[in-house]
Amino acid sequence: MGDGPLLKMVGITKEFPGVKALKGVDFELRAGEVHVLVGENGAGKSTLMKILSGVYRPDSGRILINGKEVQITSPRKAQESGIATIYQEFNLIPYLSIVQNIFLGRELMTNTAIPRMNYREMRVKAKELLDSLGIQISPDTLVKDLSMAQRQMIEVAKALSLEARILIMDEPTSALTSREIEHLFDIVRALKASGMGIIYISHRLEEIERIGDRVTVLRDGEVIGTKDVSGLSTEELITMMVGREIGDLFPRERVSKGEVALKVEHLSRRNVVKDVSLEVHYGEIVGLAGLVGSGRTELARLIFGADRFDHGEIVISGRRVKGDHNPSASVRSGLSFLPEDRKEQGLCLSLSVANNVILASLRRLFPHRITSPRREMNVTLDYVRKLRIAIPSPFRAVKSLSGGNQQKVVLAKWLCTQSKVFIFDEPTRGIDVAAKAEIHGLMNELAEQGAAILMISSELPEILGMSDRIYVMHEGRIVKEFTRDEATQEEILRYAMGGVGGAA
Amino acid sequence: MRREPNVSRVPVSVRRVPGTFYILIIMISLASITIPGFGTVSNLLNILLQGSFLAIVACGATLAIISSGIDLSVGTVLSLSGVVTGLALHAGIPIALAILSGVLTGLICGIITGSLVAFVGLEPFIATFGMMSMAQGLGLVLSNGASIPGFQESFRWFGEGVVWKVPVPLIIALVIVACIWWLLRHTRLGLYIYAIGGSEEVAGWSGIEVGRCKLALYSISGCLAGIAGVLLAARMNSGHPTVGVGWEMDAIASVVIGGTPLTGGRGGVIGTMVGVAIVSVLRNILNMLRLSSPWQITLIGAIVVIAIGLDILLRRWRLALEG
Repeated sequence: MGDGPLLKMVGITKEFPGVKALKGVDFELRAGEVHVLVGENGAGKSTLMKILSGVYRPDSGRILINGKEVQITSPRKAQESGIATIYQEFNLIPYLSIVQNIFLGRELMTNTAIPRMNYREMRVKAKELLDSLGIQISPDTLVKDLSMAQRQMIEVAKALSLEARILIMDEPTSALTSREIEHLFDIVRALKASGMGIIYISHRLEEIERIGDRVTVLRDGEVIGTKDVSGLSTEELITMMVGREIGDLFPRERVSKGEVALKVEHLSRRNVVKDVSLEVHYGEIVGLAGLVGSGRTELARLIFGADRFDHGEIVISGRRVKGDHNPSASVRSGLSFLPEDRKEQGLCLSLSVANNVILASLRRLFPHRITSPRREMNVTLDYVRKLRIAIPSPFRAVKSLSGGNQQKVVLAKWLCTQSKVFIFDEPTRGIDVAAKAEIHGLMNELAEQGAAILMISSELPEILGMSDRIYVMHEGRIVKEFTRDEATQEEILRYAMGGVGGAA
Repeated sequence: MRREPNVSRVPVSVRRVPGTFYILIIMISLASITIPGFGTVSNLLNILLQGSFLAIVACGATLAIISSGIDLSVGTVLSLSGVVTGLALHAGIPIALAILSGVLTGLICGIITGSLVAFVGLEPFIATFGMMSMAQGLGLVLSNGASIPGFQESFRWFGEGVVWKVPVPLIIALVIVACIWWLLRHTRLGLYIYAIGGSEEVAGWSGIEVGRCKLALYSISGCLAGIAGVLLAARMNSGHPTVGVGWEMDAIASVVIGGTPLTGGRGGVIGTMVGVAIVSVLRNILNMLRLSSPWQITLIGAIVVIAIGLDILLRRWRLALEG
């Protein structure tokens, strides 16, 4: 490797109709470094990376690799220039095998008269790649049967097979458990040592310290600064990102709690949820902690009526849930569910913001079954203002919004139903620091106004910062209940990992 | 050939037998017991012969559906090809060229729909729906709405002839099915068709030329419909402008019964052949029971729904057992 930077982007600009996404961005990546790229949603990180991976063309600016100017006109061109990207929504095809995915677009063919796919050779190479990453899965496994962490490793394997020198990782840990994150970090360190340059996009501040060498902050399409990670304080970083001081990340005053809003007794479903009892009071935020796969989301789905339960009882706002429990009945009895996967389950992506906001409240807003565009608009604008949703127009399709704004639209949709009982499943996953603080603020406001909130989260600081009480799940059971004062990260983790003889 | 232990040679996506295979077995067993004459060699051969034409058309439909598209034009393109071939023969053009003209007619229709889908960006439903109507209309115009009967012996051999007691159309169908199977399993185009059906965006980002793949697959589908049209004309000793009415539905039903979902991304031609067999056996049974054509249509619709419904229920049941 030469002394110059591996990658240099100079004066990159990009304009979309109505938005200047990038205003002359300079960015530099050295061989063998992990360069973290941070910024609020909408700051221009994704646009910059999509330019680098050939999805967008810049309006102006130059890209140099090893000092030589390159034109990246297509994803294929990016691959040929040694750039590989691991997108947040994985770039794999579920019903193809690992081998087929790794070599997609670059299949090896036999040298026979009529060339055909050389699966044997591809399989051997794939196996080598998987072995080098310490993954013990048959390369013929379909991607749909893999866990999120395994899919990510397949993406890494794909990047390695491309012999990429520049690897872009867009929020690689957002779907991983802490053990899987460790494994990923080990691999990132190994890649780094082999001279690869890694651009690492993340919202998790603690990861920046752990894995990053340098960090560049983007805000509103401009580079605010590039700094060495060592010696950079979290406060400094956050200030750079938002351009203002954020006070306490978890500001909170709590009023006294009211009556029981949601009560679950001895709830069971097969072997995913086992004999769970809990209650949430009005005016209270209750955290539900546990590792991925401990049954938290499954429990939430049972309460909401998305799945059927085998035994037990659910009482929502004093009303006992009958056997034919379903989401529609839940909504009518005033229960709201903000799902983990907001794109699939929380929003109709191609519908407008306005349509999404009123979607769950049609019965209330238009009791005579005839809709009124003006009413729809007024209601929507009301929530857009209240929740500070940043959109040019309520007619804009939600798929064009950033993650934080999308989550706010989901919240607006449920607020619009005027329900008093909320289940938040990972409310701030994939959302930047500032939007996160806003969502937390809104949750607190809700609780102060007397709403009951059950919050599932994998982020312990969030659980600890937000909750009045905390339940910990392990293997389908609730193994521990903490009050706010008793709980510490270590204690919660100990129970969540089954370290205390709770689970049978 | 040497095999690596542990690692099977077949990509998983094409290995499974569709659940509807058992439905086919049950249908055949029941029919053999209850309907006299069903189980005879001549009747079974008859079913295979009848199914050959559908099999060829359904191969094209399989490609379209795996790519998460659809081809509604195969039925009327089949009619048009038959008409063109008939006209060519009546005009005294040599047999080989007449056959070629029929096949080319199908190919050109396919290239047109394929281009509309790939480069203009029309939805496959719209593009092939348009072609369906155009081919039907053109067939009626060219034939003046009447059938074009009476061909020479040597042309009719392609529909009626036998080689070692095996009907010629069946042999051609088997060759085509084998080619399509090979295409899907051993060529880039085949894999890309699966990839496009799985996620067009991901396919494009992997450097696959999605447009060219779509053009290719609709061209193949059109070409196959052309071949089926020529063979059917030879079989019926006439080119008829409405002979293919409803064939696109039989083809789509065969594909879906065979386990390729309309959302695409998986499935395959082996499953489609099970679907073709089910549809063909069903038609044969209904004929033997002397059911009128309207009743046949009704029952076939019902069976399609039941077969796919059963498959879904079976799968759910299996999942419940595992989970």
